[in-house]
Amino acid sequence: MIWVSWRQHRGQGIACLGVLAALAVYAIVLGTSMRTAFGHDGLTACLVRSQGTACPAGVTAFMNEFGSEVNIAFWSVALIVPGLIGVLVGGSLIARELEYGTWRLAWSQTVPRARWLAVKLALVTGGLIVVGAAMTAVITWYRAPMDRLTGRFMHNIYDFEGLVLTAYILCAFGFAVLAGLLLRRSIPAMVAAFIPWLAIRLVVEFVFRPHFMTPLTATVNCTHGCGYGIGFVPQATGRIGDLVLSITPPRTGALGGVITYQPADRFWIFQSIEAGIFVALTAAALGATIWLLHRRAS
Amino acid sequence: MTQNDAGGSAPALRTDRLGRRYGRVWGLRDCTLEVPAGAVVGLVGPNGAGKTTLLEMIIGLLQPTEGQLSVFGETSHAHMAARLARVGYVAQDHPLYRDFSVADMFHLGRAMNPSWDQELAQARMDALAIPLKRKVKGLSGGQRAQVSLTMALAKRAPLLVLDEPVSSLDPVARLEFMREVMAAAVGTGLTVLIASHVVSELERLCDWLIVLTGGHVQLAGPADDLIAAHRLLTIPRATADAELPGLIIHRTDSDRHSTVLVRTDPVRLAAQQPPGWQADLVGFEQLVMSYLQRPSKAAAKDDTAQAAARPGPATKAVTR
Repeated sequence: MIWVSWRQHRGQGIACLGVLAALAVYAIVLGTSMRTAFGHDGLTACLVRSQGTACPAGVTAFMNEFGSEVNIAFWSVALIVPGLIGVLVGGSLIARELEYGTWRLAWSQTVPRARWLAVKLALVTGGLIVVGAAMTAVITWYRAPMDRLTGRFMHNIYDFEGLVLTAYILCAFGFAVLAGLLLRRSIPAMVAAFIPWLAIRLVVEFVFRPHFMTPLTATVNCTHGCGYGIGFVPQATGRIGDLVLSITPPRTGALGGVITYQPADRFWIFQSIEAGIFVALTAAALGATIWLLHRRAS
Repeated sequence: MTQNDAGGSAPALRTDRLGRRYGRVWGLRDCTLEVPAGAVVGLVGPNGAGKTTLLEMIIGLLQPTEGQLSVFGETSHAHMAARLARVGYVAQDHPLYRDFSVADMFHLGRAMNPSWDQELAQARMDALAIPLKRKVKGLSGGQRAQVSLTMALAKRAPLLVLDEPVSSLDPVARLEFMREVMAAAVGTGLTVLIASHVVSELERLCDWLIVLTGGHVQLAGPADDLIAAHRLLTIPRATADAELPGLIIHRTDSDRHSTVLVRTDPVRLAAQQPPGWQADLVGFEQLVMSYLQRPSKAAAKDDTAQAAARPGPATKAVTR
């Protein structure tokens, strides 16, 4: 069964390696120039001294050069690519057998279909975890200099690093496998899985993520304004990577404003919570698939 | 071929009031059969008669809605692998993975079947001059059918099930395919079940017959016994149905005479036969065609009457 699964999915495996290779090339080119610029702008010493507030010119120069890479080019990719990988691999897993009639071949060998599916799912899931982890590692490496200025809590950074990228891929995969069994056709299954995946992904990011844990509150001096500060350093807290959720400016004449924020050191807790949500959704979808397939015929 | 002895003296296939419903429609109902090991069975019926439904339940691809089914004595759904191991299956349209080579397909067979016979598979491809390196999508329809058949045979299962194996093939490929099936069946003890709506191709091959229409079994038994239990009567047209001995299967009226296929006891018929009646033996194809033309509602209605006339479902082993 291991050989069978490998033989049937090796094309997808090679395609995933291709995507990874392209990403790696991009990352090496950009990561290297980022590191050079980082040293050139003297940001390391500045960060050690003052969290970046003492060298606004250097931070601004660096962000002008590389900020757009983080903000725009990767935003759409961050959002869509994990879902695409997941649905492309998952949508065909069962649906292609049903489309081409090969289910009659696959399920009439001596391996019961529930076992057939369990082995395939285990192996393909394992492969996707490797792909997700590799993408995360590549992206985390090349953006390390940038992360030192921005922290890792901002939307388009958080979505790439840590655990969530892999969890997003798995979730789209699980949805697509289930949709493939229900719809019996690959392309509709991919579409039907991608749409709810994207909806859940966005709702979790913008509605639930800021409140995974109760935000901290701080009263700050807004003498010099209460904006988000130089670069990505929240002026209000003065610590890189704190995610400021809301700023209540002081009434005219008063000095103190109130902010709510998620501190930077909650990054891994938040990653774990969000990855847990998507892994649970994956498990539910794949569990339902195995149960339905087993019930349909056993 | 020790695998063919699996189940000992148990019949190759036994079903008891087997039925399968799709939503509100019954695909197959009240199917009671007993097929002895070693029989080569033709399963005949028009499209939509329930042939594929029956076959898929035998293989375990479909779960029966009601009734019982055993393959070489194996009934338990808990031991799905044991059930699967007893049946080699050539599905309709011979599904294979298009981007696999023939060797890959055999690798799959070896990986998924503990009793896989690689030598047999390769020897068959050599004999048929099908290159192992060729991709499935590069094979002709006839070659694909042969690869499918080879996969089912190399599984070394005691029951071989073929669903419309030649309906998509050209006449030459049909002939070659049936020749291979026959060669595999003769003298090996392999039980074969071939579903088809083409009657003529089954006549030479099958020694057992099941006719299925409208989801009901119309006729089942050893072909010789079935032919012996039927007579084609030529009688004056005025003769009423009630006067006829046995069960009327099919009646054609012409100007002065009627031709009637009856299921009857030949001894009783010979004793009662009025002068002016002519009673002939019926051919395999005509027998099957007569049952196929029979409205299935009529068949369902006189199922009970027919059960009495039925020549005991395969009580005697078929000698080959």
